[in-house]
Amino acid sequence: MKNMRFKARPPMRWLAALGLSLALATQALGAAPYYEGKTIETIIPFPVAGGSDIWIRIIGPYLEKQIPGNPKFNYRNIAGARGIPGMMEFAMKAKADGFLLLVSSATNYFPVLLGDKAAKYDFRQWKPLLVNPVGGIMYASPAAGVKRVEDLARAKNLIYGGISAIGLDMIPLISFELLEMDARGVLGFKGRGEARLAFERGETNIDYQTTPAYNAQVVPLIKEGKAIPLMTFGQLDEHGNIVRDPAVPDLPTVPEVYEKLKGKKPSGKFWDTYKVFMPSAFAVQKILWVKADAPAEVPAVFYAAAERLEKDKEFLTKTDKILGGYPLLRGDRLEKTIQQAFQIDADTQRFVKEWVGRKYRVKFD
Amino acid sequence: MWDAALVALERFASLSHLGMLLAGVLAGTVIGILPGLGGIACVAILLPFIYTLDVHTAMVLLIGSLAVVHTSDTITSVLIGTPGSAAAAATILDGHPLAKQGQAARALSAAFLSSMIGGLIGTLFLTLSLPIARPLVLLFGSPELLMLCVLGLSFAGFLTGGAPLKGGLAACLGLLLGSVGAAPAEAVYRYTFDQLYLADGIPLVGVALGIFGITEIVDLLAKGGRIAERVDLGEGWLQGVRDVVQHWGIVVRGSLIGVWAGILPGIGATAGSWMAYGHVVAMSRDKEQFGKGDIRGVIAPESANNSVEAGDLIPTLLFSVPGGAPAAILLGALYFYGIQPGPRMVQENLDLIFTIIWSFAFANAIGAGICLFLSPALARLTWVPFGRLAPAIVVTIFLGAFQSSQDFGDLFALLALGLLGWLMKQLGWPRAPFLVGFVLAKPTEQYLWLSISLYDLEWLLRPGVIALGLLLLASIFWMMFEKRRGKQRPVEESSDEAVLLGKAPSVLFTLCVAVVSGAALYEARSFPYLGAIFPVAAAVPTIFMAVAQLFFELRAPGMTSGFETQAKIRKALGYFSSLLLLFLMIWLLGFGIATALFTFFFLYASAGMRWFPALIYTGAMVGVALFMGWLLGLYWPQGLLLGLYRAS
Repeated sequence: MKNMRFKARPPMRWLAALGLSLALATQALGAAPYYEGKTIETIIPFPVAGGSDIWIRIIGPYLEKQIPGNPKFNYRNIAGARGIPGMMEFAMKAKADGFLLLVSSATNYFPVLLGDKAAKYDFRQWKPLLVNPVGGIMYASPAAGVKRVEDLARAKNLIYGGISAIGLDMIPLISFELLEMDARGVLGFKGRGEARLAFERGETNIDYQTTPAYNAQVVPLIKEGKAIPLMTFGQLDEHGNIVRDPAVPDLPTVPEVYEKLKGKKPSGKFWDTYKVFMPSAFAVQKILWVKADAPAEVPAVFYAAAERLEKDKEFLTKTDKILGGYPLLRGDRLEKTIQQAFQIDADTQRFVKEWVGRKYRVKFD
Repeated sequence: MWDAALVALERFASLSHLGMLLAGVLAGTVIGILPGLGGIACVAILLPFIYTLDVHTAMVLLIGSLAVVHTSDTITSVLIGTPGSAAAAATILDGHPLAKQGQAARALSAAFLSSMIGGLIGTLFLTLSLPIARPLVLLFGSPELLMLCVLGLSFAGFLTGGAPLKGGLAACLGLLLGSVGAAPAEAVYRYTFDQLYLADGIPLVGVALGIFGITEIVDLLAKGGRIAERVDLGEGWLQGVRDVVQHWGIVVRGSLIGVWAGILPGIGATAGSWMAYGHVVAMSRDKEQFGKGDIRGVIAPESANNSVEAGDLIPTLLFSVPGGAPAAILLGALYFYGIQPGPRMVQENLDLIFTIIWSFAFANAIGAGICLFLSPALARLTWVPFGRLAPAIVVTIFLGAFQSSQDFGDLFALLALGLLGWLMKQLGWPRAPFLVGFVLAKPTEQYLWLSISLYDLEWLLRPGVIALGLLLLASIFWMMFEKRRGKQRPVEESSDEAVLLGKAPSVLFTLCVAVVSGAALYEARSFPYLGAIFPVAAAVPTIFMAVAQLFFELRAPGMTSGFETQAKIRKALGYFSSLLLLFLMIWLLGFGIATALFTFFFLYASAGMRWFPALIYTGAMVGVALFMGWLLGLYWPQGLLLGLYRAS
C-alpha cells in the first residue's frame, strides 16, 4: 500500500546498504552467489493449504527469481499441536548457513506470550527476513442497535463468536474490555468462517474478519445493510505506534474509538495487554525467519529481493489478495518492534492469564 | 447461468483439460486404493503441479482426483476389510463378507456403480441448489446441527446387532476416545498426559486403520490361506450391476443423505456414509443378512460418500466454510489464485463454479468406469495366498497412518487400536458403533458447547430442534418396536465367524473398560463445567453398562476353548508381535531398513516364499514405499541406532 509509512531508520538503512553492496561486490569479484544451485528448505508449522502455507508458497517462486543464484525453495509442513513441533524442529535443526528457514504466525507467538512451558523456542536467536502484516476489521449487526461506532457505549448484550480465547480472538475480547462494552465472547467455533455464518444467522451480533475475508464476505453484507463496519485493530508504524490500517483508512482504530467514547487517551491494564498482544496477532503476523548467526549476505539478499518486489507489477497484482493489501516488508525495518512484540512483563502476563482464566475459564497448567 | 455452464463445458473439448482430468482421476484412483490415504494425500501430491497451472486447469486436476478417491477406496475395504480411507469403513461391514464368500466382483461393481450414480445425483443437486443454497445453509444454527449429530449417533444403535449392551458400550468408548485432546474452545486439554501428540486428539485415519485394518489383517493371517475359499468368476460383476438397478431407491436416498451431510458443516464424509448405512438397515424389512454380506449394505454408503463431496462444495464456494479436509484444501488452492469464495462468487466466477461441477461429474463417470473395468481382475486378488499380500498391505497402512501427523504417536495409536479392535472382535463387541461414536464426538461436543453458550437452555425450544427431536424419538421407538417383534436380527460385522476368546478374558476386558471409564470420570472432576459435560456424559453410562455387562458375563456358562482356537490365538498374538517388531525397528533403524527387513523375513519365514523372489518383492516394495513417502513429503525420523553411530 502506498500510504503505509514504514521507513528504515538511517543507521539501519546504512547497514542494509552496506550488506547489499558487500553481496554485490562479492558477486562482481567473480565469486558465485551464495545461494547458487542451492536448495532452501522452509519449515511451515501449519497444514498444507492453510493461510501461512499459501503465503510462503505464493511468494516463494518470486524469491527464487529475485535471489542471486536462483535457489530452489522446498516446503515442509509440520502441522498440529499448536505449531510447537514445527517450531522445535527449526530450533533444533537450523544451522548458521541460511539453508533452513521458518514461517511463523500468531499461533506460534501466543504460547510464548502466555508462558506455555511446551513452547521451548526463543525468537531472540532468530532474525526476521520478511514480514507481512495482517489486518482485522470489526463490524456489528444493526439488529443489535449499533448504527455508528459511537453506539457501542450504549449497545446491550453484544455476542461475539470466536475460536479460542487464547488465539487471535483475544484481541477483540480485550477490545471489548478496554472499551467497557456490554459484550461477551462465545468460543468453540471451528474457524472464522463458521463464526461469520453464526453472525449471518443472527446467533451472534458482533464479529471481525481479516482483510481479504472482510472484502469478499462482509462488504456485500454491508451493502445489503446487514452489517455496520466499526473499527480496525490498527497497524504499527516504524516506532511501534498503533496507526490506522492502510487497507481500510476510513475506519478508526480501537484506541481512536476509546478516545471518542471516553474523551481521553487509553490507559490501564487492558490497554497494556492490547499493546502487547495486538502486534503478534496482526501487525507482524507472518514472519519468515533465519537463524541469527547466518552469514550477512543471507539477510541482505532477502532484503534486496523485498525491495525489488515492492516495485514488481506482476508480483503486486498476483499476490494482492494473499498479502491482504499489505506490503511485504524487509525484516530489519521491524526487527526491534518484532523482538519487543514477543517480550511481556510478568505483571501483564499474570493479569492476562488471570482474566482469561476467570472470564473464559481457560485452564493453564 | 446456463451460458456459463456451456462455456465451462466447451473447455473440456480441449486436450489439455481432458488430459489434466485424466491425470487427476488416475492419481486419485491410485491414492484412494492405498489404505489410509485419501483426499488430503491427493492434494499434497498434486500441489506442486497445481501451483504452476492456471486456475481452471488446476481445478480440473484437483477435482478430478478428489472426486474419485471415495470411489476407489472401496477396493481395499471390500477385498481386505481395511478402509481405503476413513469414509470407506461403512462399506466393510457388508462388502468384506461378500468378498469372503467369493462375491468380490459383485460387491465391487455394485459399489462402483452406486458410487458413480451417487456422485452424479450429488452434482445435479449441487447445480440445482446453487440459487437457493445460501438461505438453506443459514437455516441451520448450532442447535439444529447438534440435533443432526445426535440423530447420527442414534443410528449407531442400528449397528449394535444382537448385542445392544456391548454396542452401547462401544459407542460410548468411541465418544470417550474422541474427547481426548483440546476441548472445543481450547479452554482445557483432556486426557493428554502431557503428551503434545494428544493435544489435537487421535487422528481419525489411525483409528479407522487400527480398529478395522490391523484387526482384519491379523485375523486373516491367523486363519491362513486365502481371503475367499471359493471365487465366483465370470458373471459376478453383472450381478452387481443388476443389484444396483433393483435397489435404485437406496441409491437415490443414500446420495441425498450424502449431499446433506456435505452441505451442513461439520458432518463430513465419514459420518455421511455411516448415516446412509444406518438408514438402510433401519428401513429394511428383512435385516437378517446385514453384516454378513447384504448387497444393500454396500450400495447405501457408497452412494453417499461421493455425493458428500459434491454437497461440501456449497458451503465451500458460497461461504468460504469448508465442510471437510479436502474442501479446506480446495479453498486454499482458490486463495492461491486470488479467488476469495463468497456470495459474489456466483456472479463473478460462475464459469469457474461450472468448471468445478463439470469436472466433478466427468471425473466420477471416468473413475467409476476405470474401477468397474478393473473389478473382475481385482476380485482375483482374493484368491492370492494372503501371506504374500500382507507385507505390502502392512507397509502401506503404516505409511498411511504416519502421514496423518508424522509422529511416532501415529504408529503407536495404530497398533494400540489394532489390538483393541482385535479384542473387541474376538469378544463379540461390534466395532462400527465405536467408530461412529469417535467420528461424531468432536462435532457433537462443539455444537453442544455452542448451543449452551449461545442460548442457555432455550435452544431446546427452537422449532428445528423440536422437529429433529421428534424424528429422533421416532427412530428410537421404531428400533425398540422392531426388537420386540423380534425382527431385529444381528447386524454385526463378520458375525459368521465364531468368537475366539472365552469367559475369563471377556470378564477381564469388561472390567478394564469399567476401570478406564471410572478413571476418566475421576480425571474429569478437574475440568471446567463445559469441558466436563461431554466426558462425563460418555463415562457415566459406560460404567453402568459395563457393570451390567459384567453381571451377565459372570452368570454365563464358561466355554472351554478347543485346541484349534488356542492355536489361532497364539498365531494372532505372534503376528501382533511381528507388527510391534516392525514398529520398534522403524524406531531403531529408520523406515527404509526396517521395511526391507520386515518384508523379506515375513515373506521368507512366514509366507514360505523362496529367497530370490522374496528379495525382488522386498526391493520393489521398499522402492515403492520410499517413492510414495517422497511424493507425500514424509520425513521419517532417523533410526536411533544410526543416529548413535553417526554421533560417535
